[in-house]
Amino acid sequence: MPATDFQGTFGRSFLSFRRDQVDSNTPAAGSSSHSMEAELDSFQRQVAEKFTDLNASGELLSLEWIGKLLDSFLCCQEEFRAIVFNHRSQISTSPMNRLISEYFERSIKALDVCNAIRDGIEQIRQWQKLSDIVISALDSRRTVGEGQLRRAKKALVDLAIGMLDEKETSLAHRNRSFGRVKDSHSHHRSMGHFRSLSWSVSRSWSASKQLQALASNLNTPRQNDVVASNGLAVPVYTMASVLLFVMWVLVAAFPCQDRGLQVNFFVPRQFQWAAPVMSLHDKIVEESKRRDRKNCCGLLKEIGRIEKSSRVMNELIDSIHFPMSEEKEIEVKQRVEELVEVHEALKNGLDPFERKVREVFHRIVRSRTENLDSLC
Amino acid sequence: MEEEMANRRVSSRTRKVASKMAAALTSTDNRTQAAIARLEALENDNGAVEVVDLNDDEEASLDEDDDLGYVQKKQHKGSKRKTRQAKALEARKAPKSFTELLQEANSESLPSHVPTYLKAAVGPPSSSSRRHFCTVCGSTTISISDIALPSIPQSYFIKPAGLHLPPTRLKTKFLSIHPVSFFLPWNFLRLRFLASPVDLALTQEDKENSLLLHMAENGEEKLLAVARHIAKTLGHNESMADDILQIFSTFDGRFSREKLSEDQQPSDDGSGGVAALERALNSLDSQISRFVASDQPIWSDPADSAAFLDAIDELVNLTREWSHASSEKPIGACLSRADDMMQQAMFRIEEEFRSLMDHGAESFPVSHRFDESEEEDDEVDDGEEDCDDSQIPVAQPLTDYDLIIDALSSATINDLHEITKRMLAAGFGKSCSHVYSGSRREFLEESMSRLGLQKLSIEDVHKMQWQELEDEIDRWIKAANVALRILFPSERRLCDRVFFGFSSAADLSFMEVCRGSTIQLLNFADAVAIGSRSPERLFKVLDVFETMRDLMVEFESVFSDQFCVVLRNEAVTIWKRLGEAVRGIFMELENLIRRDPAKAAVPGGGLHPITRYVMNYLRAACRSRQTLEQVFEESNGVPSKDSTLLTVQMSWIMELLESNLEVKSKVYKDPALSYVFLMNNGRYIVQKVRDGELGVLLGEDWIRKHNAKVKQYQMSYQRSSWNKMIGLLKVDNAAVGMNGLGKAMKEKLKEFNMQFDEVCKAHSTWVVFDEQMREELRTSLARLLLPAYGNFIARFQNLGDIGKNADRYIKYGVEDIEARVNDLFKGTSTARK
Repeated sequence: MPATDFQGTFGRSFLSFRRDQVDSNTPAAGSSSHSMEAELDSFQRQVAEKFTDLNASGELLSLEWIGKLLDSFLCCQEEFRAIVFNHRSQISTSPMNRLISEYFERSIKALDVCNAIRDGIEQIRQWQKLSDIVISALDSRRTVGEGQLRRAKKALVDLAIGMLDEKETSLAHRNRSFGRVKDSHSHHRSMGHFRSLSWSVSRSWSASKQLQALASNLNTPRQNDVVASNGLAVPVYTMASVLLFVMWVLVAAFPCQDRGLQVNFFVPRQFQWAAPVMSLHDKIVEESKRRDRKNCCGLLKEIGRIEKSSRVMNELIDSIHFPMSEEKEIEVKQRVEELVEVHEALKNGLDPFERKVREVFHRIVRSRTENLDSLC
Repeated sequence: MEEEMANRRVSSRTRKVASKMAAALTSTDNRTQAAIARLEALENDNGAVEVVDLNDDEEASLDEDDDLGYVQKKQHKGSKRKTRQAKALEARKAPKSFTELLQEANSESLPSHVPTYLKAAVGPPSSSSRRHFCTVCGSTTISISDIALPSIPQSYFIKPAGLHLPPTRLKTKFLSIHPVSFFLPWNFLRLRFLASPVDLALTQEDKENSLLLHMAENGEEKLLAVARHIAKTLGHNESMADDILQIFSTFDGRFSREKLSEDQQPSDDGSGGVAALERALNSLDSQISRFVASDQPIWSDPADSAAFLDAIDELVNLTREWSHASSEKPIGACLSRADDMMQQAMFRIEEEFRSLMDHGAESFPVSHRFDESEEEDDEVDDGEEDCDDSQIPVAQPLTDYDLIIDALSSATINDLHEITKRMLAAGFGKSCSHVYSGSRREFLEESMSRLGLQKLSIEDVHKMQWQELEDEIDRWIKAANVALRILFPSERRLCDRVFFGFSSAADLSFMEVCRGSTIQLLNFADAVAIGSRSPERLFKVLDVFETMRDLMVEFESVFSDQFCVVLRNEAVTIWKRLGEAVRGIFMELENLIRRDPAKAAVPGGGLHPITRYVMNYLRAACRSRQTLEQVFEESNGVPSKDSTLLTVQMSWIMELLESNLEVKSKVYKDPALSYVFLMNNGRYIVQKVRDGELGVLLGEDWIRKHNAKVKQYQMSYQRSSWNKMIGLLKVDNAAVGMNGLGKAMKEKLKEFNMQFDEVCKAHSTWVVFDEQMREELRTSLARLLLPAYGNFIARFQNLGDIGKNADRYIKYGVEDIEARVNDLFKGTSTARK
């Protein structure tokens, strides 16, 4: 694991490095500053641990893994909340008041990403329905007839169209006027009747731009800010980076409007958590560049599996001639079982995952509200 | 085999219906009895004509000879069947009475929603066009509703829409042919469906020129069988029958000679069951594939759709009845063929379902707008709007939410329901729900955009100018009300009707339909709740809060099922968050008050803008007192009986305001002016509190206390600027000697004049904004000053030498003093503002 390699070499954290300077500059700092130092150090360490874990555990970009990522985010957010609460007197003084309000304004931008991901989950549910039709058409308990194959085929075609990258289907935006429903009919036909869900945000909304907005002006804290804030500027930066990274992963994994991962994300190595986070980042970038995932609608492993499974199934169906040979029949059964497996995994995973995304949303809102209240 | 099944069905029906019929027939209702008598009389007329049992599904039985042979052949199969067949034969020989027919029709075993002879009543007029053409031959028929129907009880009518019903439901058991009419010219010949005995009654009147065909199915095969039967029955010899067939063949393409001369089904020996199954499948296959291949929408013709549904039902029955034997190879093969046919039929029916959904919705656009002045976005083409006017199904008034949009006509809904039943039975529930929700979702989304609701991200809402957002909120409130009070319940109703009897599928489909629009609505409310807390937003946020609160009942009722529980919970969460936002706004208000800097003093000690702002703000806020009470109770979790929490909140804000004003009063160098400032602002506060909800909240006690406080400021003012002067006017009798006294008084008067001049000069530029208070203050000053001054002057003038020259020292008369006092607190032009 490349992530663990860095652990040893970065024994001294950025924070404690700064802390030394602060202490030497202000010898008057008493024992309370020491406990604060420990607190902030522990936060850095925790974040690093969480991301080191994420490097090692589970299948990258699987639903389960992203669920873990969200859990980690929620933990970090809790820790961060505690820090902000413990030092609320400092939060209201410069430069912390500026830094913290910048952070919370940034966090608002993440809310739209969460909502977009919720739409994306709903999109996956629609695909689930189609794969469900395929499965029930090719139910392994019966002998498969031509009719069933045709039904499965139709669902597969709909599924394939549905899974086309949003950019391509966006050409086919429906007309929003009753009077012109007729015009759009020919279009429905050509699209194999697949009616994609529309997004809950306007058509001009772009996940890619939203990520860029989240990332804008996210710089490592200036030295004098760190000093003036007694080191509190560092957890704020840390949290903002974690937030950006998590949102970036969500956009990478799920279908959403104008997906794009071109965000300048870089964390200097002196942060303990930089290495594991950057390692994940690089792996995901690599994944997105793989040929078979290049034009997909989400890097989520399960999406890839559905796509592959349905593609193979599609090809298989095309190759079948009646009467069906026994091998073909066995093959169909195998493929159906594969599809069932992916289907079930998603079916059981999506609901809790959606709740988790919602929880992230609510926590971000709550933590911002608390901060606003405490400023009063 | 098939016939046996049909017979079994009939007998069970007869058993079931017998008791009901007996009750109906002993009815004392004269009209009913008259009708029955009349119908029976007609029946007897018919009895003269040969009556042929055209039993359920069997084509073969049309030909009597063949049928007899068939029956005889089968007799060896078991005595049970023999008796049944024999009974059937008997029944065929004797003409049946109408009541017998009714018994056989066995309407009781039909689903409750299917109108039958016994239950049928006149329903609302069908929106679909009346059927004027015989489904069999295409010639015009008299529609039931065209003819006056005397003496037939209302409840016996089958509404014209009944013709949409699958003919299976209307099956009767005999074919009645009038020989005379047959030789009439073709254009007098009418092949006609009898939808009900009502028709029978009518046709009796013009039976001279009509040919009655009472047929079970409109399937071509049966039609052909009927034609063959007619030919055989009427043709006394071969050539005559042939001639008749020839005539038939020129009538319609369906009556080609090949088809008519087609031999009856090859009689089966040995393989019996499979052959029957195969035959049935062949027949169904030809029907179904004709429909599947049709490039016309099947549902454009009610008879076609009914026949198609029947074919599907037959297929389902067939499969079900044979499934026990599926292990036998030939039967298994048949069943898989049946399955294949079913898939094709489902394919087609899904298309039909989709097109019914889409076209049904098209003809009923919801295009009403709620606010005519509201400019719709460019999407609406005005020309189209105009021509659609006549079809707008929704009433205009905004205040009345008690309406339901019927986006689809009842006939369409019935059709959809019939399809749904088949699709669910065949395991196509998911596809059905998918198509349904896709179409309805689009409809809803379009309705929402018609209501002017945009899709906005949270950031969009945040970036919006407040004024723009205010408009958006207004639109949202309308849209949310319409959605939850009209659109969603309408969708619920539609969904329940289309998926009647399948509650789980209905719930799921409903959720799928409404989810997107609900989330769109909730997202906006959420964005408003998360948005800026600047105090001017309070009123609009309260509006949103109240809208959500009032719609909670609707959320609860419309989203009550298991699938929608998420939406309901979301709504609650966001509603609470709006409450939080309101509390946040009050916090922000507190902040603003507390942090309002004491920069420049208000000239003349007048009203400070913050006092006016806060007081008017709170007064306006208290117009929503009940809502605010609710909001503040929420924060506590424990509902309190009185409005204590809001009272606490309000008193706290007042306290903050007062202490802020006290800080501001220190800006004045002259303490007297500070008091005037506090007096003015205090007076304003009490005035604003007293006559409004705020006063009710803060209470009489609070008002009394604060009135006293204002009085105190007034006293303090008097003390600080006038007491010294009054002191000067006191005459010290203990002073040494007359001379000394006079000298002292002279000095005092000089001092008084100087101070009075100074004070009057300064204080006349000060402001007391409230006229009453200004008068009070002047009066009080005059009362304090004038007697003392008058005394003083009088004493002074009486003081010997000095008294003689008193006028030299007395600058002001008592009247002058009064005039000067009355000139106080007028303010300069700037201070008065």
